[in-house]
Amino acid sequence: MKLAAVIHRFGTDFAGGSEGHCRAIMTRLAAHHDVTIITTCAKDHITWANEYPEGASSLGPLKIVRFPVTRTRSMHRFADISDDVFSGGAPDDEEVRWFRENGPEAPALLDYVKARVHAFDLVLFWSFRYYQTFFGLPLAAGRSVLVPTAEEDPVIRMRAVSRFFPLASAFLFLTPEERDLVAAHCPEPLAPYEIVGSGLEPAAPRVDASALERLGIRTPFILYLGRIDPNKGCETLLRHFTRYIGETGRNVQLVMAGPANMPVPDHPQVKLLGFVEERVREAVLSNASVLTVPSPFESLSLALLEAWNHGVPALVNARCAVLKGQSIRANGGLYYGNFDEFSRELSHLLDHPDTARELGASGLAYVEREYRWPHVMEKIEAFLARVRHSA
Amino acid sequence: MEPRSGASVERLMRELGSEISNERRARIVARGGASEYGDPELYARVEEVFRRVLDARDHNALLLPQLLDDEDDYTLQLRLRYASHRRLIGPLLLFIKRTILLPINRWLYEYSLENFRRQQRVNRLLFACIEELAIENARLRQDAAGSAERRRNQPA
Repeated sequence: MKLAAVIHRFGTDFAGGSEGHCRAIMTRLAAHHDVTIITTCAKDHITWANEYPEGASSLGPLKIVRFPVTRTRSMHRFADISDDVFSGGAPDDEEVRWFRENGPEAPALLDYVKARVHAFDLVLFWSFRYYQTFFGLPLAAGRSVLVPTAEEDPVIRMRAVSRFFPLASAFLFLTPEERDLVAAHCPEPLAPYEIVGSGLEPAAPRVDASALERLGIRTPFILYLGRIDPNKGCETLLRHFTRYIGETGRNVQLVMAGPANMPVPDHPQVKLLGFVEERVREAVLSNASVLTVPSPFESLSLALLEAWNHGVPALVNARCAVLKGQSIRANGGLYYGNFDEFSRELSHLLDHPDTARELGASGLAYVEREYRWPHVMEKIEAFLARVRHSA
Repeated sequence: MEPRSGASVERLMRELGSEISNERRARIVARGGASEYGDPELYARVEEVFRRVLDARDHNALLLPQLLDDEDDYTLQLRLRYASHRRLIGPLLLFIKRTILLPINRWLYEYSLENFRRQQRVNRLLFACIEELAIENARLRQDAAGSAERRRNQPA
């Protein structure tokens, strides 16, 4: 098959998120298909400033075509329109303008999709919230496969989104919760879909905890893995954790591994690692007592799957249906909705290592069952073949 | 709680949830909260109502705001807007306001913006609580009316 993937930014600089998901899947699809990535020159997800060179390039087996972003994002203008639109009273054209302000605005990318759509058997669009998918998918009618990466945030409640979802010819979802969420905001029955999630390689052998000492990490510690950002629930996590330490006096660290987009308070039991290389990532994952995922909005948490891949139990935000659903399905973690629950459940996991180990082992079994690459790619290949046949 | 073999998330959550709820109730009563919470069953029902509100996913889809004469009059306006009623020099005034006044005001405004957002969330949550109580009340009235109807229809 000739396949194209349309995504807001692309490259080896993005390990996770929808960009990492797209790269991992399209690279594997390229083993059997002709794959082109249609993307922008943007690298920074806040400004969308052009940083990659425009035009054709390649990355391993992938052909890449990049288009310039015509304007950087004004965060003031974006915040203003978000307040208006998310309050629910904005007119239709204001909702559509939200997608332009969100960006990355690259009209040449849309022209390319429109002109070349018939050169591809299927065009996969990642992340409905960004310009290239919201405006690009309607140009690929009959051949579009949407990977919505939908979260239960205010964007999904826009009327414009309810008009958009029925335009997709097929869907690839990350979790059953994401499917239910999209179905709830799609006024028509969903187009054919498959729930594929993402894949993981088996974890490397456990790294000895002593390797972490030079980083100032001591066991036991709770791990947060990912971008440190208020939107990811990190402000609340830090408030809960410092209060927990204040009330219990426990000698446990919170290790936060990821780039920080917000100020992190200076606390002797909060260890900020910043962006970590693979070796350190493996070391913290294999030695953590608990992984916490405080985000209220997730379509799939790769950090959660990685923790289970290492047999580490999780403590997740119950307000996120995906995280709660995955924890129950995997039998791999507890979920909290407020400080009382956070505190009690964290203490329970720290005080009952046998229980924690059992939950971690259940999580690993779940990953083995559902999230190994051969299994994931088999589902994707079979689904795309079906969609192409019916297109 | 003693650990048992074969850890189950749902069982653990049930057991821990029950313990947390009992402790919360005791804490509220000890601090002088509603004396009705001395009754664990009644407290559980109250907590259940509030949980339903918190778990409702869309606090924008509520009835009360739609019954208001003008919803905008009751909504916090978070966006910093500039307008001019002057037809001729209006565009010039707006340009000056946007390029000079807006940046100056914005950093002052941003101090309070997050608080306005919080207030907006609290308002919606309170609307949602009122709606949940109204639903509860309507259900009880329906049940009471049904019971009365059944009693009337019972042979003497």
